[in-house]
Amino acid sequence: MIAHHPQRDTAAIAHHPDDALLVTYASGAADEATSLIVATHLHYCTICRMRAGEMETIGGTLLEELAPEPLASGALDATMAKLDKVLPYERPRHMPSRDGTPGVLRAYLGGDLRDVHWRRMGPGLSYVPLFRRGGVAARLLRGVPGADSGPHSHKGLEYTLVLKGGYTDVTGSYAPGDLQVMEAGQHHNPVADPGEDCINLAVTTGRLKFDSLIQKIAAPLFGF
Amino acid sequence: MNRPAEAAELDVLLGRVAAHRDKAAFATLFAHFAPRVKAYLLRLGASSAVAEELAQEALLSVWRKAHLFDPGKASAATWLFTIARNLRIDAVRREKHPELDPEDFLPEPQAEADAALTLAENEVRLRTALKQLPVEQIEVVQLSFFAEKPHSQIAQELGIPLGTVKSRLRLAMGRLRQAMGGDE
Repeated sequence: MIAHHPQRDTAAIAHHPDDALLVTYASGAADEATSLIVATHLHYCTICRMRAGEMETIGGTLLEELAPEPLASGALDATMAKLDKVLPYERPRHMPSRDGTPGVLRAYLGGDLRDVHWRRMGPGLSYVPLFRRGGVAARLLRGVPGADSGPHSHKGLEYTLVLKGGYTDVTGSYAPGDLQVMEAGQHHNPVADPGEDCINLAVTTGRLKFDSLIQKIAAPLFGF
Repeated sequence: MNRPAEAAELDVLLGRVAAHRDKAAFATLFAHFAPRVKAYLLRLGASSAVAEELAQEALLSVWRKAHLFDPGKASAATWLFTIARNLRIDAVRREKHPELDPEDFLPEPQAEADAALTLAENEVRLRTALKQLPVEQIEVVQLSFFAEKPHSQIAQELGIPLGTVKSRLRLAMGRLRQAMGGDE
């Protein structure tokens, strides 16, 4: 059973999370949406996967170094008494992806990328809301070649991870596996590259601020 | 105390739990790890009752998941760290920690390039390197793992610019990676 793999050589990935973002994932400090986009990047990127692993090793070492905090008396007995009552953990099984969708993302899509139900939001643009918690939202975005998301800036952070196709903005070009981080207040105007549809996973920690009036009015309707 | 032997021993104990459901081995693991997991949870702001309960639950997970432990990939301490981290996110924040799907068979990073270093030796070197970090770097590393705050907030609390927090972290990570036999 061979799963498909991201076609792109991992060495070709040009845009990575920095150490601060990676460590918020490895330490568990990041919220779920931010962790999801980092984990999906890790699916594509061998180097960051190794780095995140190293950070977990640092976590393990810090754990070892903590001054042990004694448990209540009877804690060991209480736990020992449960051992025969619990079953060994079984990993949930699932069908392999048919289109190379990263497994970590499939858990949130309920299946493969090719089967998701897109909602239209503008000329050549569609989206799928995934989840929102505490003002942080995760969604899929799709643009046909040449689709223009409209100039906007951000009230919070915006993370974008390319899953298919690619896009270009003032900061450069982004292809599958690339993770773009836009800080609050940064302004850009991403346009989908020619060729195939561009599909991204996007996480925002605050609302987007669109330049155009129409988009200003429409954005909240789509949860942006 | 011979640290590598100790770390290797913990791996062996986990192996015995996995293969033979060895309760004596489990009790030794419990004595070693439960108090450390409890300390970790307290450090992250859990109440004493919650820390106590989750520490026991983490060790029960060790019993249930021992067969998934791969000593070639992580040390026992690292594995415990990920269990405690995920359990806490689940129980305290009611969220999940999204992780790579083991069924995706992603290519292994070339970490074994330095195969001369075992994971246990690696940990000893890492521990030494952590102790040798400048105070301001270890502070940022500790806060990254135990404060559960974005780095912008850590910067605010330390009264330094975000860029400084990030560069301290980057320097620290560079040194720690080097200790683990990686590049930089």
